[in-house]
Amino acid sequence: MTAEAHLYDIRYSRYDGAREARWRSVLAMARSSTGRALGLRRTAGSKVWPFLLIAAAHLPAIATVGVPLLFDGAPEPLELMPYSQLLAVLTPIVVAFAATTLPSLLTRERRDRVLSLYFSTAMSPWEYLAGKVLAALALMSLVTLSPLLVLLIGSILTSEAPLDALRDDGRHVLAVILAGLVCALWFAALGLTAGAMTSKRLFAIGGLLAVLLVTPVLSGLVSSLTDQPSVRAADLSQVPLRATTDLLPGRGYDDEGSGKPAQALVWSVWGAVLLAATTVLVLRYRDPDAS
Amino acid sequence: MSLSDGYGRPMTAALACDGLVKTFGAVRALDRVTVSVAAPATGLLGANGAGKSTLMKVALGLLTPDEGEVRVLGLTDRTQIRARVGYMPEHSCLPTDMSAQDLCIHLARLRGLPRRDALRRASEVLFAVGLEEERHRLIDTYSLGMRQRAKLAQALVHGPDLVVLDEPTSGLDPAGRTEMLEILRHLSRDLGIQVLLSSHVLEDIERTCDEVVVLASGRVSAQQAVSARVSTGPVTLQVTGDAAAFAGLLQEHGITAQLVAGRILLPSAGPRELAAVRDLAASSGTGLSSMVDAANALEDAVVGAMA
Repeated sequence: MTAEAHLYDIRYSRYDGAREARWRSVLAMARSSTGRALGLRRTAGSKVWPFLLIAAAHLPAIATVGVPLLFDGAPEPLELMPYSQLLAVLTPIVVAFAATTLPSLLTRERRDRVLSLYFSTAMSPWEYLAGKVLAALALMSLVTLSPLLVLLIGSILTSEAPLDALRDDGRHVLAVILAGLVCALWFAALGLTAGAMTSKRLFAIGGLLAVLLVTPVLSGLVSSLTDQPSVRAADLSQVPLRATTDLLPGRGYDDEGSGKPAQALVWSVWGAVLLAATTVLVLRYRDPDAS
Repeated sequence: MSLSDGYGRPMTAALACDGLVKTFGAVRALDRVTVSVAAPATGLLGANGAGKSTLMKVALGLLTPDEGEVRVLGLTDRTQIRARVGYMPEHSCLPTDMSAQDLCIHLARLRGLPRRDALRRASEVLFAVGLEEERHRLIDTYSLGMRQRAKLAQALVHGPDLVVLDEPTSGLDPAGRTEMLEILRHLSRDLGIQVLLSSHVLEDIERTCDEVVVLASGRVSAQQAVSARVSTGPVTLQVTGDAAAFAGLLQEHGITAQLVAGRILLPSAGPRELAAVRDLAASSGTGLSSMVDAANALEDAVVGAMA
């Protein structure tokens, strides 16, 4: 028997093969953008910061899950660290991750003037934006949804009766996923809006940090002076935390505080900011000559 | 005669504009442009600000015209046009943190090619533009000539029917420019890809295109073929030694020659006359220090149209 030999012509030829559906191109954009933001296929140095923050975001959940394994008679993980408390602990990390990875999803391509390539021969501005929103959601889920899931799955696996725990805690899966996505969507919207406003990454990071660090101080100050807890709803770094506190089982965020804004108000702020962010993105990219 | 591509397929008009108007504030960049471009390779020629880049951006959907209609490959639907057109902008447009290989794969995927085909096409196209050895290097480390090739590669990776090139030789050194022009000629002549390129250098268009469209102040001022012209004169000769004697020698052999300011003007100089000049110069021991084509029909036409 002789082995078959094939000759391949590697010279340029016309392409008459299949074309995939447009949503596959949107996914390709999302995948590529996510990889670049994480420093994949780039130097080792560009991977350090994002992966450091992702690791830091998972540490509290891993530590909480590990405690009952190390110490007999220790409380259950979800008693030690309820979901809302975990989100509160994660907030500084989430803010740092959002500020340093999300704006560059848009600023880099504006700076390099790649948009004319994309919009002339590759995809429409709306497909481009859809890909970027998916990428931002995927990135933020790594530091919001993923730690919550680690805590949920870890608490089930480390319980004395995992099957019973699966039955009891398993019903919270949807609530945990929803809460993680609410947080991810919030920071994705803010990060992309900052990135859409300028081609300079540092300006976008500065703007986003200013919004997320100044609003807590201002809202807290005004709330104290006026004795109006509702003003705290303007603390943009805590909006997703306050919005999801009733969604998640266990002790909620701000439960022990002197006062907290009404849930309806918090959700109104969440919706209004998302609407504003969407409007900014659409206005910024509706002109194909945005490059 | 109907045009066909290198594969025998009928060639539709790459670009058909009807009454295109585009203004930027008080500047009328395109002023009722009506033109149909169907040659295998067409050059858009004009001075800076003539409207070349604006016309290309309107054709690619990057700018919306104020008036008029534009069809690309007979299509008006942007999604269909995107799938069949490649674009190489004049300005720097490459993501500097990617390699040429990753860029080509990325753009092929965005244009709808399956991953396996995108990988294969990226290798093919980078080989075709001469970047196969450097394809894994970051674009940030490329020379200008390599970046131009990478820009061309991404424009070709999805196998377009038409490739739009905005000043493809801009900033290249003479050797790089020659190589780029050879690649461009190869596209329309051997690969059957329609080429629409803009330049303000007539020689680039003469070497790569079959037709030239001249734009001036946002209007089409001329459109004509770039034919392989047989020189028929006039030609100006400069000789060492006695120019008057050599002019007389030419006259004796039936070649009309006039002495003008110490140079010999041949009003008619086809292949027969030029061969006779060579032979007579050799037999009489006269040195030919220069022999200059005194007329260039295309250049004259273009200069006239741009004036």
